[in-house]
Amino acid sequence: MATHNPTQKAPERETFKIPIGPQHPALKEPGHFEFAVDGETVTDATVRLGYVHRGIEKGVESRTWIQGQYLVERVCGICSHVHATTYCLAVEKLAGVEAPPRAQAIRSLVAELERIHSHMLWLGVAAHEAGFDMLFMYSWRDRETVMNLLEGITGNRVNYSANILGGVKCDITPEQDAAIRAGVDYLEERTRHYLDVVQNDTMFMRRTKNVGTMTREQAEQMGVVGPTARASGVPRDIRVDAPYAAYKDFPVNVITETAGDLHARFVVRVNELFETFRLIRAILDHLPEGDLQTRVKRKIPAGETIMRIEAPRGELFYYVKSAGGETPDRVKIRTPTLPNMASVLELAVGHQLADMPMILTGIDPCFSCNDRMITVRDTHSNQRDVWTWDQLRKYGMNAAQ
Amino acid sequence: MKLGGMWRDAIKALVQGPSTQKYPFERLKTPERFRSKLTWDLTNCTGCGLCMKDCPANAIEVVTLDRKAKRFVFRYRVDHCTFCGQCVESCNKNCLELPEDDWELATTNRQDFEVYYGNEADVQIVLDGEAETGA
Repeated sequence: MATHNPTQKAPERETFKIPIGPQHPALKEPGHFEFAVDGETVTDATVRLGYVHRGIEKGVESRTWIQGQYLVERVCGICSHVHATTYCLAVEKLAGVEAPPRAQAIRSLVAELERIHSHMLWLGVAAHEAGFDMLFMYSWRDRETVMNLLEGITGNRVNYSANILGGVKCDITPEQDAAIRAGVDYLEERTRHYLDVVQNDTMFMRRTKNVGTMTREQAEQMGVVGPTARASGVPRDIRVDAPYAAYKDFPVNVITETAGDLHARFVVRVNELFETFRLIRAILDHLPEGDLQTRVKRKIPAGETIMRIEAPRGELFYYVKSAGGETPDRVKIRTPTLPNMASVLELAVGHQLADMPMILTGIDPCFSCNDRMITVRDTHSNQRDVWTWDQLRKYGMNAAQ
Repeated sequence: MKLGGMWRDAIKALVQGPSTQKYPFERLKTPERFRSKLTWDLTNCTGCGLCMKDCPANAIEVVTLDRKAKRFVFRYRVDHCTFCGQCVESCNKNCLELPEDDWELATTNRQDFEVYYGNEADVQIVLDGEAETGA
């Protein structure tokens, strides 16, 4: 007969670790996640990135200033134009030249078209992760409209190479003006429909409402950027905070939401599309006349600079250093996925395992964009060293003084 | 439930039929600015080599046989080319062009990707390996 012994301790609950990736963890890009689960509930999450480190920063150092632009354009396949624009603006700043107003406006115009392309792509991917493949297919079908527009303007669907140091290569003809307006009108109508679906579809709401909620305080503390921050009520947008290219002449209204959950991230991005449509029309209405290019010398004067741009996913940061020659001395790139990734780990805790792909997709991650490597070397002993966060912080503070 | 709009889309697509083009029997017109296989015109070339210097993919090589007599051979590696258009911008004499219609470049022979432009006799000299090549 089994007897119950009250002095016997109940066995401790074992946590179970579920490794996901590096192959195909929800998205078709490599990243390794480990979720500690209690039943179906996630209690801890860790991430390992860096599987697609391509050595682009080092590659730029061994190329000329002109060649470097085409390499950084390939950092990201979706937001290639913003990378080239950031690089060009940084180099132009170092060279002490400014691209003509018409070129700046076209840079902004292509960047905004690219934002539509990126947001619609994300809407599809996120809907796919939610099991809503119909929305995925239709949003990707409509994305073709903007892809065709970009192909018409620049000559390519991705890696547009619209930029050149000192300006842009492509002009906007009256026919293209009309084509862009027609395309934007169609997309606006479709986006209104998608907003309706995102806000009212019961199944979709169940997958997104109150999932991965991030408060404004958390968002500020973790330093998240872009639409992920704006969905938590942080009005952070580089186009407004530090206007570049033509955004001084074409001001942007920052779209924010306060809920901070996945649903808010959907609504912010879809509403941002409307703002983008307005901006594109404004740029076309007041496109400045003039040259497309200004001359930039092959040798860039010695110096260092930083450049920030609002990519579709958030703040994109470039640090460019010149030693006065024909090649860059150092180019450091930080893409928006890196600051946003911390929020995924924080928000994962307490949610169901099935929500993980959605929470991950909610920040619109781009793994291969953010995979970079820094090796810290002691200049005296030439020894490699791994720094802790505190050491790195101390170093940063000392360097800033 | 608010699925009305999406269902309308689905039913419309059902009766619309496939929208895939029957390539190669039907061809879409490529946009005017589309960039395909590079062409080079000897007439105005000064052999300055800026195209070669600026090419981010090392796809271009200008072989100078005799600068004074304007004997240049233009070696173009189609398989290296990223079709960025920088060479066209770099050329001050408008010798280079990326037309929109020559984009069917797939081949089973690797040699087809190595294209030579220039006078036939000069190209033969380069092919025979008698000219000094290399940047």
